[in-house]
Amino acid sequence: MSTTTPTKVTKPSKPLRADTQRAEAENRLGRRLVAPAVVIMLLVTAWPMLRALYLSLFRYRLTTPDDRSFVFLGNYGTILSDPLFWRDTWNTVLIMVITVGVELVVGFAFAMVMHKIIFARGVMRTSILIPYGIITVVSAFAWQFTFSINNGYINTWFDWLPFIDPDTNWFGDHWHAMFAIMVSEIWKTTPFMSLLLLAGLSQIPEDMIEAAKVDGATWWQRLFKVILPNMRAAIMVAVLFRALDAFRIFDNIFVMTRGAQNTESSSFLTYRQVIEQMQLGMGSALSVLLFLTVLLLAYLIVRAFKVDLSAARGEG
Amino acid sequence: MATSKRGNVLGTWFGFALIMIWCLLPVVWIISLSFKSPAETTAGSPQFFPKAWTTQNYKDIVDNPDFTRALLNSFGIALSATLFSVVLATLAAYAIARLDFRGKRAVLSLALAIAMFPVVSLVGPLFDMWRTLHLFNTWPGLIIPYMSFTLPLAIWTLSAFFREIPWEMEQAAQVDGATSWQAFRKVIVPLAAPGVFTAAILTFFFAWNEFVLAISLTSTTASRTVPAQMSYFVGADPFNPPYSQLATASVVVTVPVVIIVLLFQRKIVAGLTAGAVKG
Amino acid sequence: MPDSPPGPARLVRTGPVRVTAAAAVLALLAALLTACGDDSGQVTLVWYTNPDPGGQAEVAKRCSTDKVKIETEVLPQDTGQQRIQLARRLAAHDSGIDLMSLDPPFTAEFANAGFLAKIPDSLQSTLTEQSFKGAVDAATWDGEMVVLPFWSNTQVLWYRKDAARAAGLDMSRPVTWDQIIDAADELNEKQDADKTYVGVQANKYEGYVVWINALIEGAGGSIVENAEKGTDAKIDIDSDPGREAAAVIQKLADSSAAEPDLSVSNEGTVLPYLYPTSGGKVIRNAGGFLVNWTFVYTNEQALTEKSVAEGGITKKDFANLGWTRYPQTVADQDSRPPYGGIGIGVSQYSAHPEEAMDAAACVVDPENQGLNAELTGNMPASSAGYAYPALRKIYPADLLQLFQDSVDAAAPRSSTPYWSDISGAIQSTWHSPFAVNQDTPEESGTFIVDVLKGRTLQ
Repeated sequence: MSTTTPTKVTKPSKPLRADTQRAEAENRLGRRLVAPAVVIMLLVTAWPMLRALYLSLFRYRLTTPDDRSFVFLGNYGTILSDPLFWRDTWNTVLIMVITVGVELVVGFAFAMVMHKIIFARGVMRTSILIPYGIITVVSAFAWQFTFSINNGYINTWFDWLPFIDPDTNWFGDHWHAMFAIMVSEIWKTTPFMSLLLLAGLSQIPEDMIEAAKVDGATWWQRLFKVILPNMRAAIMVAVLFRALDAFRIFDNIFVMTRGAQNTESSSFLTYRQVIEQMQLGMGSALSVLLFLTVLLLAYLIVRAFKVDLSAARGEG
Repeated sequence: MATSKRGNVLGTWFGFALIMIWCLLPVVWIISLSFKSPAETTAGSPQFFPKAWTTQNYKDIVDNPDFTRALLNSFGIALSATLFSVVLATLAAYAIARLDFRGKRAVLSLALAIAMFPVVSLVGPLFDMWRTLHLFNTWPGLIIPYMSFTLPLAIWTLSAFFREIPWEMEQAAQVDGATSWQAFRKVIVPLAAPGVFTAAILTFFFAWNEFVLAISLTSTTASRTVPAQMSYFVGADPFNPPYSQLATASVVVTVPVVIIVLLFQRKIVAGLTAGAVKG
Repeated sequence: MPDSPPGPARLVRTGPVRVTAAAAVLALLAALLTACGDDSGQVTLVWYTNPDPGGQAEVAKRCSTDKVKIETEVLPQDTGQQRIQLARRLAAHDSGIDLMSLDPPFTAEFANAGFLAKIPDSLQSTLTEQSFKGAVDAATWDGEMVVLPFWSNTQVLWYRKDAARAAGLDMSRPVTWDQIIDAADELNEKQDADKTYVGVQANKYEGYVVWINALIEGAGGSIVENAEKGTDAKIDIDSDPGREAAAVIQKLADSSAAEPDLSVSNEGTVLPYLYPTSGGKVIRNAGGFLVNWTFVYTNEQALTEKSVAEGGITKKDFANLGWTRYPQTVADQDSRPPYGGIGIGVSQYSAHPEEAMDAAACVVDPENQGLNAELTGNMPASSAGYAYPALRKIYPADLLQLFQDSVDAAAPRSSTPYWSDISGAIQSTWHSPFAVNQDTPEESGTFIVDVLKGRTLQ
């Protein structure tokens, strides 16, 4: 995937004689081939998003349809001045920053081990893919039971820690519950992170590191001066995808706390307004805001790493 | 030098052990929990392994029509979404890798934007649309959005694979007297198949895992998939979640994942990292 | 590379495109078709029930005839989730629901949204006569009975006789929340292991609001006044009764009588605390007190069939189970126990409205109410249902009397289409119970009004 340059198809459509007809035919064919995929992608995203934009201008609830009224930007005003919205946004950002940070460090350590290891590679690859492939809801249940006050082993195993005793109720207050949610999230997604980082790591020529070693660079110097800078694209892709994924966190919260103890995320708030409260108007406004936030976030991350995304994706 | 090398080996072993514990401990825990009797978990059973091993949970779960139905839904929906998504993505990826056409960048940007899309944002309007189109609580009601959200991943993975196919071999085969269909079937298909297969696995994982749409766009066992069904699991005791039964259900839905991983681990890793590391 | 257009492209275009499109259309059609029903002579009605140990399924069988077959589908356990599942399908005008078991707090909302078919006047008057007054009140919206009262539930104070005796409490007279919390506290101090509790339901869910509502009503207050005004209803939680309720919650949360998982407790999680064990035996003079629905009696009785190691209790332990009227919020003021239960709603969008109404009438027949109570521990909504012989065998006479007295004295949650908003707003402001204080009623009063007016999210 990485050494694509030699085999990359030279563009067949730019022959010396300007055969515009042929180019036009190819153009048409290309468009026809991508059309079905594009239609399906737009059908389920662009159209509903426009509809959300429209609905967000109303006070509209499914169970009291007679009360529907046009409020223009009123819903947005309500949301943006609402402490609940900001609390949930803060929760989401916190979860995103902490989980991605931890995943990056642990994932990198895993990648280093996998890079160095010369035995049991298949076993390790299989093991690391299991958390990746496991259903998030299953992971959430597994960790909910792990932390459960009656059925979990955490309180028994870690009884000796000063802040854990047999009666520690992990879902009884905000920070404990947030911790449990983040553990499940980190457990499931670190493998993905480590695989991406491993791919980046194997890109670095061994002799580059050897040369640094010969020059007397310490392990830390080699890490920060040679290894990490050469993995920038891989790190960026990993961070971008994981961050946006973490920002949309929903499954773990739904299963573990249902949003109790103020552990709600932005996605959960939106879901609750739309599906549980059937507030289509307010919920749509939240949907639009969530979408804009994700766009902004993606933009910020790409800017922060100063990498052309399509280039990183292998697209010239 | 020798000691530092031994230290390295020890460190690697240590890291290996750590990774194995990290990845497998929760899995072993869920398996162990699935062999505890419901009475044991209701009364509270904080020890890791069961006091008395029982296979009753597995018998119960197989006899639970809601669960088996959800399993059928999950397979049906995930496989259909995978099939349709991969076929459409193959066409698109072929065009992107091989043809020059206007709007190529737009297609890629669209795919990228959709890969980042907050699924929850769509739940409201989709629910509203699906209930007017009578797609609410049906298989297509889930298959269609699953296709949209897996297409980006499939298109990227496939175009990365397709770009590496030495297409000129096809021409060579034709020169050697093969018809273009033969050349396609004998030369290109075997080269492209692994990529298509990898994209299919990743797509299947997504559809198998999806939860937000599964709980929002379904309301009965007619179309509820396993993750959604599990979150509404009701045991014999209506007030306590049936821990051991949930653990059993978890083990059962994880089995296909483990099988796929065991068989195709190399392909999955290749697919996950395809195109992600250039630069 | 030669300049001819790529060979496979042609193949790709003429082959798979059409095949795919055709396959997709076929698959969609097939799936749509399977969603439609089958045709045999018998009409099949679908009854969505709340989870129970099989009582409603049995009643469905009994009410099925050659012409009408009633099938049951089980809803999620959480009442909030039950409401969501049903409301979304009804909003989609789904004809796949004929009958539904509705919890009182959502009855008004469903009726107001036009989801419920009108009950014929003659049936309404029969049912009004037949049912307890509390059950009729809970089934009524806008002067009209909108669901058929099926079973009525209420909470009583369950307690361990040995613990009450050890604490020196006279249980023959009404007790207050203060008294039982103090009693549990004292026992915990004496035994230096905190194994005596006052069990309540305080997870962030409807059950917590049940408790809060009962506390406020017990102090002579009411959360919602003139509920028929919808979003303009008067919210009266910021009042002396509201503060009395907050005081009880605060006192319990701060005491050693609170269960360790108080903030996530529900009707099920509180049960094991009644009979805490140590060294394979139920601890004497511990466990304490528990407010909970009527099902506790049969539930604990069933536990005597299991060994203590398996989470069971001995017959002697079971003999220690006592019951009395729900505790008073304020001394010498009669308590208002919570009201729960199920009314049968007939869907407005049912394809067989007449058959469905007849089936509903059959379901709520006192005989069937009795049968359901026998199988589930969910007590009838009528005194005729209580006359069911099997119930006399299962329950002690004084307990049956206590249940009926409690239903009579019960305070239902207000009937308003906006109950889910009000309840959600109460949950947001009163949860966690550890954070409740004397300012909570005021905060929640303002918050509920803001939510009703659409000025804030919740």
